Amino acid sequence: MQPQLKSKVHCSDREVGEVSRVIMDPLSHEVSHLVVSMNGAGERQVPMGAVQAVTDDLVQLRTSSSEVMGMQPFNREDYVTLHEVEIPGLEKHIHVTPGEVLVPFPELERNVKRRAFFANLTYVTGLFIGLPLVYPVMKFLMKPMYAPLDNGWLKIGHIGKMKVEDAGIQFQYKRKIKEAYLHEAEIEKNVWLVKASPAVLEKVYQGKDMEFLNASGEAIWTNKKDVPFLAFSGKCPHLGCAYKWRKHKVLGQVFLCPCHLSIYDASGRVLDGPAPRPLDMLPIQVSAAGEVQIIDMEFKAGTKSQTRIV
Amino acid sequence: MSDIPPAGAQPTVAEKIFTFVDERVGLKLLAAKMLNESVPGGSRWAYVFGSILLFIFIMQAVTGVLLMFYYVPTADHAYASTQYILHDVDYGWFLLSYHFWGSTAMVVCVFAHMSQVFLWGAYKKPRELIWLVGLALFALVMGFGFTGYLLPWDQRAYWATTVGVEIMDKIPIMGDFLARFLKGGPTPGQMTLSRFFVIHVMVLPAALIALAGLHLFLFRCAGPAGPFRGAPAELKAKTDYFFPRQIWKDVVGMAVVFASVSAMAFWEPVVLLEEATPDPGDYHPEPEWYFLFIFQHLRLKMFSGEFGQFLGSMGLPGLLGVMLVLLPFFDRSPERNIFKRPFALIGWVMLTASILLFTVSAIINREFLD
Repeated sequence: MQPQLKSKVHCSDREVGEVSRVIMDPLSHEVSHLVVSMNGAGERQVPMGAVQAVTDDLVQLRTSSSEVMGMQPFNREDYVTLHEVEIPGLEKHIHVTPGEVLVPFPELERNVKRRAFFANLTYVTGLFIGLPLVYPVMKFLMKPMYAPLDNGWLKIGHIGKMKVEDAGIQFQYKRKIKEAYLHEAEIEKNVWLVKASPAVLEKVYQGKDMEFLNASGEAIWTNKKDVPFLAFSGKCPHLGCAYKWRKHKVLGQVFLCPCHLSIYDASGRVLDGPAPRPLDMLPIQVSAAGEVQIIDMEFKAGTKSQTRIV
Repeated sequence: MSDIPPAGAQPTVAEKIFTFVDERVGLKLLAAKMLNESVPGGSRWAYVFGSILLFIFIMQAVTGVLLMFYYVPTADHAYASTQYILHDVDYGWFLLSYHFWGSTAMVVCVFAHMSQVFLWGAYKKPRELIWLVGLALFALVMGFGFTGYLLPWDQRAYWATTVGVEIMDKIPIMGDFLARFLKGGPTPGQMTLSRFFVIHVMVLPAALIALAGLHLFLFRCAGPAGPFRGAPAELKAKTDYFFPRQIWKDVVGMAVVFASVSAMAFWEPVVLLEEATPDPGDYHPEPEWYFLFIFQHLRLKMFSGEFGQFLGSMGLPGLLGVMLVLLPFFDRSPERNIFKRPFALIGWVMLTASILLFTVSAIINREFLD
């Protein structure tokens, strides 16, 4: 047991005083010294090594009283109290309080039976407030997430720009958007058009017309397999960056995405890099006068299959 | 304590006010508790990073609040208001650039802080909870970087966000919902800006303050770990309190960070690109430098295709995250000396080397794109 405050201190020859304080070791968290008040002759610091036995109200030392008198005097300035220092867990190791310190339990609290009930009632009340809010809050936050798809045709330019076969030509166009409460605004977008040779057309269509469906599965347009103009969404199917028509040292002229270096040929097929699928074809129509129109579509990037999101 | 005036002297007004407050809230005891934190083995320069991070966060909060006096988070005004801060408001360029370079300092110091805890074995029992909360704080810092990036609404902002959210889209099952939830629609626009803004200036700061408080509380419960070698007697002889030696070192560290960030803001102030639009023109999209290594490794052939992409953008980073979370629970040996923990040392060196390698190769790659 640990020495208690006020315990009498007995040396091998006689009683020398009482324990007035204890000193803790900050690393081992054990009592390292006793401070003994020497019956009016000052205080001495006695190491625990000198203690032979401890009982309820008595500390028996191995040393003689004269040896204790010769020990280091206690200097309060060298110490801080337990309350003035932060040494985690130190309190747990001391059991030297002279006894329990008590405060009366309030009269009203003494026979309350349903403490658990009241505690649970608090949680239930919280749930009653919180749960009904989940749905409205989620709906509130989700309002703009799923916009309907727009299948309107957009004029983007004239085929006069496209002189060379099987070369990517960028068409920039402006698209009007009306977002929520904002004024109508224009954003700049682009698509890549290719005037395709029969070989490239065959690669793209493989003998079949390409049908585009709306959200409910009805056909909205068919790209005929013999129309030599291809339109690719400007968004790289890898992670959505914007690719360009560039010269490659080995592969010649290719579509190259500068983000993660996906490379596609003029038919949109993946030649190299991390892209999971070919470039996304868009519905395209060219009028007799050479005016090009497209339906602006965007697809989710990074998937093998196409999922339209715009 | 020694600052008690000698008996008989008349207390000054300041002393009276101090006594008044002290009587009511126990100021002296509180200050003593705060400052007399025992630092086993003594204060060290190596321990400054925690305090520095707190300092950087406070500076980010201060500069961030100041920027909000002029910044408008709308698609039609975000860019113009940021340009206004940069070019028209007195010292706007400095505050915005300080905020920008402050985020870089934050990432650097977070890495240093985490590396140190890892190498010192300070995540081990009884400090597992500090480590876990620290990881959550790390995630918040990354979230700050990602959301703050969009706010100037220039091309760099737009494309970093486009690609970043596409990566999030690759989370199994929840991905599509999360990406749309964050963007507030199928593509980045006003709703994205509003969402990122409120997350950046309200949600993340609140979470960070709460978790940083918890981090400190847990740290105080467990106490500093101290050095990983040295006999108890030697450690005890070198032990001092948080104040004054450690605080002195922390303050010097903060001053160095402040000077460095200010210098960067001065010499390399923020310059915006063109206003955001889905047509990038000649701009080659690239994320902030601390995300470059993720960006670069996604270029690897092994991360191609749908599954490869999931592996590269979600699978491996997720696995690393899970390993860091589980670290204190499967690494239960009390040995803290890094030179006696070969796997930990090799793991750290490899991770750091690969981050460096990918970052540098991303920078080298730039030249081949122009």
